[in-house]
Amino acid sequence: MVITPVHYIVAPLIAAFAIPLLIKIHKDAARIVPGIVLFYNVIVSLFLMNHIAEHGMISETLAGWQAPWGINLVVTPFTGFLATMVSILGFIIWLYGYRFKRTLKGGEVKYYEILQMMMIAGSIGIIITGDIFNMFVFIEIVGISAFSLTAFYRSRDGAEAGFKYLLIGGFASAFLLLGILIIYTQTGTLNMAQIAERMPDVPQQMKIVALIFFLVALGIEAEMFPLNGWAPDAYSQAPSPTSATFAAVVSVAGVYALIRVVFTMFDVEGVNNYLMVMGFVTMLIAEIAAISQKDLKRMLAYSSVGQVGLVLIAFGIGSNLAVFGALFLMLNHGVIKSLLFMAGSYFIYNTDDKKIKSLNGIYKKLPIVSFFFALGALAIIGFPPFSGFWSKFYILISAADEKYVFLIIGILLVTIIELTYYLRVVGRIYFAKQEGEPASHKPSINALVAMSSLALFIIVIGVYPDLIMPHIQSAADALLDKSNYIQQILSIKN
Amino acid sequence: MLKKLIVFLLIGTLGYTLAVTFSSIPIGANRIGSLDNPETVAAYYLDKSPNDLKVANTITAVVVNFRGFDTLGEVSVLFLAATGLASILYRKEEEEEEEENKRHISHRLNLPSSSLVQTGAKILFPLILLLGIYVFIHGHLTPGGGFQGGAIIATGFLLMLVSYKGFKNNHKIMVWLESLAGLGFVGVGLYGLIRYGSFLQNTGWTGNLNDLVSGGLIPLIYIFVGIKVATELTNVLDILLNIKSRRK
Repeated sequence: MVITPVHYIVAPLIAAFAIPLLIKIHKDAARIVPGIVLFYNVIVSLFLMNHIAEHGMISETLAGWQAPWGINLVVTPFTGFLATMVSILGFIIWLYGYRFKRTLKGGEVKYYEILQMMMIAGSIGIIITGDIFNMFVFIEIVGISAFSLTAFYRSRDGAEAGFKYLLIGGFASAFLLLGILIIYTQTGTLNMAQIAERMPDVPQQMKIVALIFFLVALGIEAEMFPLNGWAPDAYSQAPSPTSATFAAVVSVAGVYALIRVVFTMFDVEGVNNYLMVMGFVTMLIAEIAAISQKDLKRMLAYSSVGQVGLVLIAFGIGSNLAVFGALFLMLNHGVIKSLLFMAGSYFIYNTDDKKIKSLNGIYKKLPIVSFFFALGALAIIGFPPFSGFWSKFYILISAADEKYVFLIIGILLVTIIELTYYLRVVGRIYFAKQEGEPASHKPSINALVAMSSLALFIIVIGVYPDLIMPHIQSAADALLDKSNYIQQILSIKN
Repeated sequence: MLKKLIVFLLIGTLGYTLAVTFSSIPIGANRIGSLDNPETVAAYYLDKSPNDLKVANTITAVVVNFRGFDTLGEVSVLFLAATGLASILYRKEEEEEEEENKRHISHRLNLPSSSLVQTGAKILFPLILLLGIYVFIHGHLTPGGGFQGGAIIATGFLLMLVSYKGFKNNHKIMVWLESLAGLGFVGVGLYGLIRYGSFLQNTGWTGNLNDLVSGGLIPLIYIFVGIKVATELTNVLDILLNIKSRRK
């Protein structure tokens, strides 16, 4: 194997440490190098996916020590699928943001690009690690970058959002560490596969307390109600490429961490129902809150939280089809919500405030961007023939299979709510009376390329979902096959 | 009143549950087990670090070798924290100019520290640096290591920054040291990956237990960590002190 999973982390780290030096040689190095690294990560992803399709899962040992003693990185069809998705979206977001930050001076660009790149790299780290403490370290990396980027514009609101996120993120870290501590005292290991193997011997009380710590900590990262108070503020105050990264990359990593802990490590009865109920509440409250938003990015943020709620519902149902639907939705949400944030940020760029009411008739100024926004809005509601339709469809079918009538009613109700607030915005863009002068900030070519590749994905997968469905199916199978995961990791000799 | 009562009840229940849970964990008891019948991973570490790695300080072996990837992650966390802090608190050029102008006009409270403090700081500064370097070079032999040594060095810089108003770190050297130390750590990891096929793997040559030069690449990594931590923490102090002077 020429390329190993550790390249995912090492390449961004080298770049992050070297950028302060490279910037002395060429002043645009801080912009270009992260792009090269993120593109390299896409190559790593494709290579590894190809490799596991032929040879089965990879468990790479680090520092030459076998799995329970050293740290291992695991690429299964499940983690590989998510890592591939995150790295591709990360690269597209870089492409989008390449000229977006032209207005910034040299020093600022360096900080922005390093933090943005490490946030994506840390998210990949959360996904591929096989060690619970290593996951904690990566959550810290993502967290620290995310806090700083939220406050990056140094406005009053941005500072407030960043500080809120910092406080609640600090809570998450402390709780996660306590959970890990309890697990270590009970099982004597930090390797997730070995913890899962030894979990049946742990006293029930310890298990429950540790699980609660994990649920609170990772619920904060996964934006689960009532722990998601930071999310709307952070999404709306961060620079737009960062908002897209929160939706497409960071929330995926958060949900992954939650699911990995609940599905693989613990074997507690009833936690699935808990996920389902909390997901339902998250979805309902977030979507209702989204209706009343006057600020475009805040509305998109609440919509993101609502989608994460739907993902949690689907994982809570827990059948193979539901997990399949959940993974499909995670992919769709990442793609569509990045597109919406990318398009939405050009609207904001061209209006005086971030308010929805100032978008009246903006399609005449920005026809292409308006088209992308409308496409994204229709796709995320779940109109056929866009990709968003299929994920919602499969989740509804799986809910019907398990006879959860209230879930079906709830999801359909929420779809109507989504329809209301998205079409309200699209209606303003296209049909309201136009005012003001022509657009001052036309989208740059690289931003257009980024947005059209996402739009293309939405349409192609919507029309021909079989392209991606086998990958998602094998990912869902890999997640649910816990005993195979444990056995493989503890027996692989590198 | 009722609200307060409910909150107290809730906190009481939570506290009781946590107290019961944590009190049933035998913290401090010897639960290592033996190598043949290990209860925790500790037995393996205690056996391997003196025998295979030739590292006297087992904690260093765990931190730098067995779980070296975590340490690399923590070093990056520190790096990102400094970067993030700089991104929020840095000063734009025009702001700086403006401030320079103001400085001439307004009479800034800029009393130097007493000569007692200044002389003391001047004598202590090299000694503190020496102690810091000693701590991270001997990380594999004695308690302490890169993080501790780096923090000690940063306190030396803090002392100088506090006692001399005009004390300026040489930013050029700091940037180089910071980057090269980080790259050095990753480079040692890559050496393991290329030479032995596993990231951060130690060399086969490990020397004798308790020698200064022993443990293969472990002391080298700790030196890089020490430099990295020292420069990052000094940067953080520098940024924070600069901001304070702007506000007056």
